[in-house]
Amino acid sequence: MKNTRKMVLLANFLAIAIVLNIIESAIPVIPVPGAKLGFANVITLIVLYVYSFKDSSILTISRVFLVSLLTGKLLGPVFYMSISGALLAMLAMGFFKKLNFFGILGVSVLGSVFHCIGQVIGGYFVIGSTAIVLYLPIMLFLSIPAGVVTGLIAQRFLKVWQTWNKDIK
Amino acid sequence: MKNMNQQKKRDIILVGLLFVLLGGIFLAFRLLAFNEDAAQARVYYGNSNDPIVTIDFAKQTVTRHYDQDVPDAYAEDYPLINLENQTITLLGDYTVNGVRQIVVIKYDFTKRSAQIIEEQSPNNICSREGESTGWPLICLPNRVRVEFVTDQGDFTV
Repeated sequence: MKNTRKMVLLANFLAIAIVLNIIESAIPVIPVPGAKLGFANVITLIVLYVYSFKDSSILTISRVFLVSLLTGKLLGPVFYMSISGALLAMLAMGFFKKLNFFGILGVSVLGSVFHCIGQVIGGYFVIGSTAIVLYLPIMLFLSIPAGVVTGLIAQRFLKVWQTWNKDIK
Repeated sequence: MKNMNQQKKRDIILVGLLFVLLGGIFLAFRLLAFNEDAAQARVYYGNSNDPIVTIDFAKQTVTRHYDQDVPDAYAEDYPLINLENQTITLLGDYTVNGVRQIVVIKYDFTKRSAQIIEEQSPNNICSREGESTGWPLICLPNRVRVEFVTDQGDFTV
């Protein structure tokens, strides 16, 4: 029973993450080609806190693959940027959560910062030029408010989740 | 509970510190970078580090280094250089209904600038960047980029 619930919830989370990712890629907030602020990371963060690092990493990787399949950009230049960004953000958030030094807000901001760094690394390999590194300062700067927003959303969600989960049990 | 409060405090300190640090880097970058006049603009395609076209602002010349590897279905030999209109046309990687789309770069010798005036991509970020005199223009979906060089020395080696 418990496993079924977890499976269904993870599927729902994955669906939400995919929709968030697609919507986000349609809004060009930052003047950087192919880069995103990483609002879909909110699901990675929530699953990391609700379940485990393993679940959130499976979810993140399948999210990136499914989104690129749905938008027809699998193995395209933007795909490499999003996968390296998502992977680095995921690893950073997992690490800082384990460290238990920062709360969820700090973990979220750090994940957002690493998301940008990961995207620039991916972009460097796609375009083969360090020119993309010049965009890093503005991306990093914008990643802070993005990280705060995702952190606050996750915090609010976890509060609701705790009471809700108790009710079900 | 005490631990939670401590973490919250650390979070706020972290956000504040990052804000000041990254904001400072960003401002310093915007103010200090690219104040010099560019000597050349180099157009690259793909992940190659050899420019496909070099625009020399000082000598007022445009040099085409090699052809783009274009399938036979496309009639023209890219890159196309139009000296009259001051444009360079490349074939980008972005496809619409399976047809690769062109990227048109306009350059200006007197202003020492370049601008991407026509391209197809989801968000059109590089053409909205406008005219640039030093900031690199990168079109990721098309894998075309324009970089500016301030010194001319490294071409004689």
